[in-house]
Formats: sequence, C-alpha cells, structure tokens
Amino acid sequence: MKTRDIFSYSFSAIKLRKLRASLTILGVVIGIAAIVALLSITQGMTYTIQNQLSQGLATDTLIVTPGSSGGLGGDGGGFGGGGGGNGIGSAGAPSSNFVLYANYTDGINSTLSPSIQSAFAIITQGGYIQNAGGSTRTVNTITGVDFASYANAYGTTFKAAQGTIPLDASDDEIVVGARVADPRLNGTTFVAAGGSVTLSWVNFTSQLSAINETMTGTVTAVLDGIGGFSFVGPSDTGVYIPLQTAERFFGTDQASMIIVKLVNSDNATVAAAEKALNTYFQNQVTIISPSAVIGLLTTIINILGLFVSGIAAISLLVAGIGIMNIMIVSLIERTREIGILKALGMKSRTVLGLFLGESFIIGLIGGILGIIAGWALGRVVAVVVERLFSVGSGLTLTPILTPLVVFGALAFGIGVSVIFALYPAWRASKLKPVDALRYE
Amino acid sequence: MSVLVVEAVNLKKTYMLGKVPVDALRGVNLKVEKGDFLSILGPSGSGKSTLLNLIGALDKPTDGKLLIDGVDISTLNDNQLTDIRRKIGFVFQFFNLIPRFTALENVELALSIADVSKAEKTKRATELLQTVGLGDRMKHKPAELSGGQQQRVAIARALANSPRFMLMDEPTGNIDSKTAQEVIDLIRKLNEDGVTIIMVTHDQHLAKEAKRTVQVFDGTILSDLVN
Repeated sequence: MKTRDIFSYSFSAIKLRKLRASLTILGVVIGIAAIVALLSITQGMTYTIQNQLSQGLATDTLIVTPGSSGGLGGDGGGFGGGGGGNGIGSAGAPSSNFVLYANYTDGINSTLSPSIQSAFAIITQGGYIQNAGGSTRTVNTITGVDFASYANAYGTTFKAAQGTIPLDASDDEIVVGARVADPRLNGTTFVAAGGSVTLSWVNFTSQLSAINETMTGTVTAVLDGIGGFSFVGPSDTGVYIPLQTAERFFGTDQASMIIVKLVNSDNATVAAAEKALNTYFQNQVTIISPSAVIGLLTTIINILGLFVSGIAAISLLVAGIGIMNIMIVSLIERTREIGILKALGMKSRTVLGLFLGESFIIGLIGGILGIIAGWALGRVVAVVVERLFSVGSGLTLTPILTPLVVFGALAFGIGVSVIFALYPAWRASKLKPVDALRYE
Repeated sequence: MSVLVVEAVNLKKTYMLGKVPVDALRGVNLKVEKGDFLSILGPSGSGKSTLLNLIGALDKPTDGKLLIDGVDISTLNDNQLTDIRRKIGFVFQFFNLIPRFTALENVELALSIADVSKAEKTKRATELLQTVGLGDRMKHKPAELSGGQQQRVAIARALANSPRFMLMDEPTGNIDSKTAQEVIDLIRKLNEDGVTIIMVTHDQHLAKEAKRTVQVFDGTILSDLVN
C-alpha cells in the first residue's frame, strides 16, 4: 500500500472519533507546550545573562578582592614560608589580617604576566546624595575610581548621556548613573549634568559616636541608561567620584577591590593572569573572573532548564500512555475491520503502518499545536517573571525559540506517540483474519 | 484444457476447543476448475465455514494439501498467505464494507491495497460499480444503501483486483428475497462472463442456482453433483 494511502486511511480513522482524538492530541499538546515554554524561557534567560548581565561584567577583566577564598585560604599557612618578598602582607599570615591597599595597583602590570594590561582600584561606600533643592536620596554605592581607567575597562557602559566624563578629573567632579539623575526614568529630574550635589556617609569607625561626613561637588556627567544589573561595572544607581577624592572623603587607602584589565577575554589569558595575581598576592586574595561567573550562571540556568524540561517530558509520557490506551480501544473496536483488510490482502506490516500512521498524525498535530501553545505560554510566563522579579533591575526576559527546540519538540512528540503506539499496532498486525472476521 | 483454481487433497482441520480437539474437516477432496460455479451446501457445524476459511487462505490446514492457483497453502507463512488472498474475491454475508467510506472508496480500498495508482484506482472502481449497477450510488456510504446495494458494492470490491475466483459466504443471507434475486442474477451473469465462483450456503434454494453443488456434512463431502 502506498504511504499516501496509508496516511489517508489513518486520517479517516482519526476523523471518525473526533472527540477522542482531540483529547488524545490535547495530552500531547500539553506535554510539548510545557517543554517548549520552559526551554524557550531558559534560552531567553541565558541570552539575558550573556548579553544584558555581561555588560556590567566585562569579561576581559579580573576582580581582586581581599580575603582568600575557602580552599586556598586553608592552604595558605602551609604554602607560605619565605616571607613577603615584595612587602605585601606576610606569607602564611591569616587572611583576616591582609589589607588590599589601593596603591597595590602600581605593581600589577604586564611585567607580572603578559596577559595583564593595567589595573585600577575601587573604593566603595554606601551613602546619600542631596541635590540643590535639598532633597536627599540613598545611594547604594558611592564609588571612588579613576575615571579614565574605569572608562577603559567598561567602555560600553561608563559613557555619558549628558555632559562629559572628565578623564583627568579634579576633586569635586562627580559622575552619576541614569537612575540617580532621573530616579523613575520618567523625566522627573533629581539632578542634571552641571548641577551641584552634596554627598554624605555616616562614619561609625573613627569615633564613639557616628559622624556625618560630607563633600560637595558638581555633576559633570550623567551616564547613559545601562539597564540590567551591575556586579562590579557601572550601574544606573551608582555615584562616581575620583579615587583620590574617595581616599580623602572615606578616610581610607584600602581598596574594596582591584580591577585588572586583561589584553583579551580568552580562557588562557584569564587563567594565566589569575595565576600570576595569586602568586603576586600569595593567595591572600579572592580573584573573580566575570567570564567564569557568566559561564557558571549560564551553565546553572541550562541545567535547571533541562531538569525542568525533563519533568515536563514526563507529562508527555503520560500523554503517550493515553495514546497507547486509545489505540488499544481502537484496536478492539476495529478488530472486524482489520479482518476485512486482511481478507482483502493487506499485509501485516501495512496494518502496523495504519496504526503507527494514526499515532504519527496525532503526534504531528499535537506537536505543532504544542509548539504554538508553548511559545504563547513562554511569553506569558516571561512577562510575569519580569514583573515579579526584575523590578528596578531593568532586566528583560524574552523567550527564545530556536529551530533546534522547535524540531526537537516536534520529533519528541511524534516519537513518543509512535513508540507508545508500537504495542497496539503490533497486536493489530498479528490479528488472525479468521478470528478478526468472526469478531462481533 | 481444464485449469484447476482450487484443489483439496485429503484436507483436514482440527480445532482445539479449550482442551478438546474438534475435527472440523476429516479428509476433504475437491477440485474447482476455472469458470466453475460451485455451491458448497451444508447445515451449520458441518465444516463448510472451515472449508471456506481454508479456500480463502484465511487459515491453514492441519493436514492434507490445499492448492490455490497451484500453490500449496499449507507450506506458506502469513505474508505469503496474504499474497494468495489478493487473488481471491471475498463476498461476505454481512457485506463487511468500511462504514466511513463511500461505495467508491470501499472499492478503491481494495485497489489501494494492491498498490494501484490514484487515477487508475478511481477509473477502475467507477467501472466496477457501473458493472454491478450502482453507477448512480458511488458517493453513498453503506448506511445510505439497501442490503442488496451494499452486497453489490462488496461484489464490485471483490472483483477489483481481477481475482482467480470469487469466494462468497451466504451472499444473500442478509438480504430480502426480492433484492436477493437481483444479486443472484448478478452473480450468474459474472459467471457467464467467465468468473469462477465458489459460494457457501445452507440455503438449498440458493445452492441450486450454481452449476454444481457439493454437500458437506460432519467434516466430509457427502455428495458432489452437477445441477
């Protein structure tokens, strides 16, 4: 029998039991829709991480923070000996005593490792900002940094929308993020470029009572809206002052972190620089590689996505059992018909083909509808997730449907349908024509 | 000159009814020539249905030989039996049409099974339905046709692949006597045109329509007479 004839026969059998076929197809639709929705959201999240998040996490940098990381810290004592040849801390000393001074950047350059281009320190402090009108806002981080170096490392995000970023800044020049200038991003300006502001922070450390430290400066630039969320790089909610100003204002020469700019973001470059820095700091620091962080996040999201999709796949198995059930019922109902077909000279493998054809059609229709439903569901879920979780961060989530997911889901839907129809189809093909014709 | 389409030699068939063996056929010898019109007559339980199933290659004998178109079916596997069945035109008591298909589609189905092309299929099915006098009922489904008309569709379907012989099981058993005569006339006409017909019945009246009557009783052939 020709393939076309087999499919048209199968289709006529499906049409005969419309409600039953629709419910069976619905089972496949639900399974496929769940898988497609979850995978498209996962891929959307991966895209968000890799594109929006990585803007604030330049991949060609390493971030050095004080305090050795767990494993290395534990080994510190044993590995030490020899003493600090370059005068930074003493080898083997407990990591809590280690201080990361801002001027350590002087020793970090290409002589340490050819992977390293330059380094700059960052000093951060939480505080407040007051505009000329006297209204005050909380600032999560007032960041003291060399503007030129910062712009060099975060060229895509540390750029001005208003005014200009002074590359050789004088003490009272201040740069603010987009949401500091316009907190609700709706045109209600808190401060604009050229405006005068007063920064303050509460100093608990030097005296028994808290002291309110203040400085006044001029906003010379407002950053372009960055969106997303920032880990180390510029942020929409950040306030930036020159490093030497920060050292004076915060009363410290200790860096919160040192950012090391590398010649490129290749894995080998990152690894070589990391090794050189660990040696230089004698394992007293924690070195964070943004590219590794992004890689890790991506991996976690992908694993989670696959895991959740795996659970969704179980629903498809349930649909498969539904198909098997319906096929067995159909087989019993159509025993006589199968007898007729065999009496007319239909081969057993053609009978097998008729039943598999039915399940193929169910899988195909269910798969296509499931992909459409999954895509719609993904969009709805993405909007809900965006509303619930990314308020203020500006992160957007758009589900992404790749051809691989589309064809994979379709193949999976058809595959499950056909596999679960194998047994009923095999039983149908094995029916003896004599018995089948006698069946009432 | 004579060509044998069916030849049974000491044909035996034993069923297991639970654990009790039942000898349905106990050594049947029968020859059917091309162009013959044979009726197999016998009461229920005589073994005539068993004989029908064997001649129709729907079942295999327990012992003895059964040659259909010169091939001994006792040696064939399921797939080869199916090939043999394509040479046989079945007509059943209850018509056995596919209810969801029209008269035309039912006839076309037999042609689809034999891999006939789409255009050829429709042409041949239309011709056959016109032959059996249903040229104006081709788009009707079985439920919209009378018993006699349904049986004529079944005859057209049986003729579709130009069978070596037609095998009919009580062809008028489910039709009122008036239309039954029309079906009988059609069968006789087909035989006059050269179609070999083997008809199984318990109706003596119908059996007399054939050229030859074989009486089966208790698993053996009681008589084999020319009418």
